[in-house]
Amino acid sequence: MNEAAPRPDPAKLIASVDSVRAALQTERYICSSQIATAVYLAWHLGKPILVEGPPGVGKTELAKTTARMLDLPLIRLQCYEGLDEAKALYEWKYGKQLLYIQVLKEQLGEILQGAVGLKASVSRLHEFGDIFFSEEFLEPRPLLRALREEGGSVLLIDEVDKADQEFESLLLEMLSDFQVSIPEIGTIKAGAHKPLVFLTSNNTREISDALKRRCLHLYIPFPEAKLEQEIIRARVPDIPEELRRQLVAFVQELRELDLKKVPAISETIDWARTLMLLHSEALEADLIKDTLNVILKFQDDIETVEAELYSITGRALKRG
Amino acid sequence: MERTLANFIRALRMADVRVSTSETLDAFRTAEITGWRDRTALKEALALTLPKTADEKDAYDACFEQFFRFDDFRSEAAEADSQQDESEQESSPQSGDGEPGAEGQAQGDGGGGQSSGSDVEELEELIQPGEMSEARSELGQMLMGGDASQLSLAIANAARETKLEEIKVFTQKGLFTRRIMEAMGLAELQQELEELGASNTLPEQRLNAELRRRRDGLREQIRDYVERQFLLHADARGDRLREEMLRKVKLSNVEVRNFRHLRMLVQKMAKQLATAHSRRRKVTKRGQLNVPKMLRRNMRHGGEMVELAWKSTKIDRPKVYAICDVSGSMTTYARFMLMLLYSLEEVLPNVRAFAFSSDLGEVTDLFRREDIDDAIAMTLKDFGGGSTDYGQAFEDFERLAGRDLDHRSTLIILGDARNNYGQAQTELLRGFRDRSKRVIWLNPEPEMAWGSGDSEMRRYQAHVHQANVCNSLVHLERVVSGLLRAVS
Repeated sequence: MNEAAPRPDPAKLIASVDSVRAALQTERYICSSQIATAVYLAWHLGKPILVEGPPGVGKTELAKTTARMLDLPLIRLQCYEGLDEAKALYEWKYGKQLLYIQVLKEQLGEILQGAVGLKASVSRLHEFGDIFFSEEFLEPRPLLRALREEGGSVLLIDEVDKADQEFESLLLEMLSDFQVSIPEIGTIKAGAHKPLVFLTSNNTREISDALKRRCLHLYIPFPEAKLEQEIIRARVPDIPEELRRQLVAFVQELRELDLKKVPAISETIDWARTLMLLHSEALEADLIKDTLNVILKFQDDIETVEAELYSITGRALKRG
Repeated sequence: MERTLANFIRALRMADVRVSTSETLDAFRTAEITGWRDRTALKEALALTLPKTADEKDAYDACFEQFFRFDDFRSEAAEADSQQDESEQESSPQSGDGEPGAEGQAQGDGGGGQSSGSDVEELEELIQPGEMSEARSELGQMLMGGDASQLSLAIANAARETKLEEIKVFTQKGLFTRRIMEAMGLAELQQELEELGASNTLPEQRLNAELRRRRDGLREQIRDYVERQFLLHADARGDRLREEMLRKVKLSNVEVRNFRHLRMLVQKMAKQLATAHSRRRKVTKRGQLNVPKMLRRNMRHGGEMVELAWKSTKIDRPKVYAICDVSGSMTTYARFMLMLLYSLEEVLPNVRAFAFSSDLGEVTDLFRREDIDDAIAMTLKDFGGGSTDYGQAFEDFERLAGRDLDHRSTLIILGDARNNYGQAQTELLRGFRDRSKRVIWLNPEPEMAWGSGDSEMRRYQAHVHQANVCNSLVHLERVVSGLLRAVS
C-alpha cells in the first residue's frame, strides 16, 4: 500500500447510502441503490454480506471495488471442493517445527545442565518456555490474516457454494464473532477494525440456514437496460452512444431467450470492447454474427441465436 | 414503531419467510440505522436482513407493499369530489358480509347502512357551503383537521389496541371494523352528531353534514385496512392449514386444483432433505501421506511416526437407480411417484430414472432436460397406460443398467407389484439385491393389500432390503429421509 497517499476517511465515504453509491461510482462500479444499501448496512452493522446472483453480474467485482474505495487490503479466499482449515484458516509451519525439535535435542544438554535425576530434569524442562505451539510457528491463511490486519481489511470469500458443507460451519465462528479459535493457542479476535466480509455464491448448492442467518443477503440480478448502459459507459467510455444503446438492447433481448448460458454484464463489456477494436459504429447482423462467440459460450446457443439473428436484431434496434 | 416491525415480521413468517430471532434483532438495528422516514430505503435495507432466498424476496416485496401502505386518507379536496362515490360504496353489497350489526351500531341515529348515503346527500343539498362551526369531540377534530397521516396513525394505533393481528376468519371483519371505530372515539362523535342534528343554526348543520360524510369515509377506510390486515395475517394461515392437510391426505385423493401446491411441497421437501443430508467425505487409506498432519499428530509420540495420516479424501457419491411403474393400475400414483423421482434427481447427484408399464426405458435425460411438468407428461405418454409386466421390466433393467449396479448403488422401485399374473422373475430381483448396496421397494398400497389378488408384493418383499408403504407426503418424507441416510 502506498503510505504517502492520504487515506480516505471511511466514515465519510459510508455516511449515507448515496455517498456509498457515489464513491463506488468514482471507482467505476455503477450499481443500484440496493447494492449501495448493502455495503452501507454491512459497514454499520458489522455484518458480512452474502452476494448471490447469476455469474458475471459483478459479485466479485463489488468486493474488489469496495476494497479500492476504502483503500483497504483485499484478502481473497477462493473456495473449491476439499478446501479445509489448513488452507483457509491457519497452518503450523511444520518444517520450522521440525527444525526446532532438532535444535532442542542438541541444546538439551545445555538446558538440563546440572539437573540431577529424572525429576529435576523434567521440572527444568517445564520451566523452559513452550514455544512449540506459539504464534511464531503459525502460518496465517486468508481468514486469520484478515482478522489480524491492523487497519481493517476487505475479506472476499469467493464462490462459497463450491466448498463443502463442513467448510461453512468453519466460517460460522469467524463470521458471527470475528474470532478464530486455535486449540493450542486460544482465541484470536479481530482488532479494532473488523474486516468487511463479502461471500459470493452462484447458487450451485443451497447455502445452509446457519450461514445465511449471519449474513446480509444481497441478490444481484441482471441489470435493467438503463443501468447496463451506464455500466458500459463507465467501463468502455469511448464507445459511441448509438452503438452502446443498440448493444445493450441486443444483450437484453438475448437474456429473454432460452439459452444455456445467457450473457452477463462481463460479457457485454467484453463485447463492447471487441466492437471498439473493430471500429464499429453501429450494430449490424453480419457484425453480430462474427462476434457472437464473445457473448455466447456454447455452440448450441450460438446456433440458436444465429437462426433467429435477423428478428432479434430487428427487435433490439427498435428497442434501442 | 417496534411493535409495528414485530408485527411485520409476524406477517412475513406467515408468508413463509423464515425469520429467526437473531434476524429480528438485525432488522431492529437496521431500522434504527436507516430510520423510518424513507420508505424505499427502509424497504431495501430490510430486504437485505430478512429474506434470504429469491422466493423469500418475492414474498417479502409483496408483504412489505401490503403492510406499509400509508396512502390511505384522501386529501380534503379529493374527498369532497368523491363524496358521491363513497355513498355508493357504502351501499354496495360488499358491506353485506356480517356487517349489518356494525352498521346499525355505528349509525346510532336509526338510519340503516343503506340509508346513510342518501341521508348525507339530502343534507348536503339542503345546506349551501359557508361558515361552519368547530368540531368538539376529539375524533371530530381529527376528521376535520384532514391530516391524512395523523388519521392513518390513529387507525393503526386503534387496530393495535383491538389486537387486529389476531383476526382469523373473514366473518370477523365487520366486528373488527366496529371495534376500531369505537377505539378511535366513535361514541363521542356520535353524541356530538346528535346534538348538532338537534341544533338549528346553519354553521352547525353544515358541520353535521360534513362530519357525517367524513365519518363514513373513515369507516370505509378502516374496512380497507381490516381487509388488508386480514389478507396479511389470516390468509397465510389458511395456506399453512392446507399444506398440513395435503401432507396427510392420500396422494390418490388429492384434487387436481391442489396439484400445484403439492408439487411445491414435494420440491420443498426435497430441498430440505438435500441440505440435511449433504454428501460425505471419507479419508482414503492409501495414496500419498499427509506429512504436516502426520508430524503434528505424532508430536506426542516424540516425533516417531506411529500414526499415519493420508492426503487424499474421497467423496462418496451415492448412485441411485429408480424404477417407476406407470402402468394403468398405478395411474393415480404414477404422477406423484414421478414427481418424487424428479425431485430426487435434483437432490442427489447421480440418479438414473427408469419408467415402465410393460417395457422399460430410461428417462434420466428427459428429466434433466425438461421441467417437471413436461417431463412427467412425456414419461406418462411414452411409457404409461399399458398393462404391467414386472418380469419384462426387470429383464429390460438388467439389460440396460444391470452391469452398472455395484456395492455403492441403491435401487428404488416405485410400484404396486400387481403383475397381472405374469412371470414374477424374482431371481432377477434377487440378483439386483446381491449386487447393490440396498434395494428399496415403495408401494402405494396399504400393507393389508400386499399379496392379495395379482399382487406379487409378498414374494418380492423377500428379495429386497426394505419395503415400505408410501402413499402420502408424510410417508414420502419419512422414506426419502431414511433413503438419503442410507445412500449417503
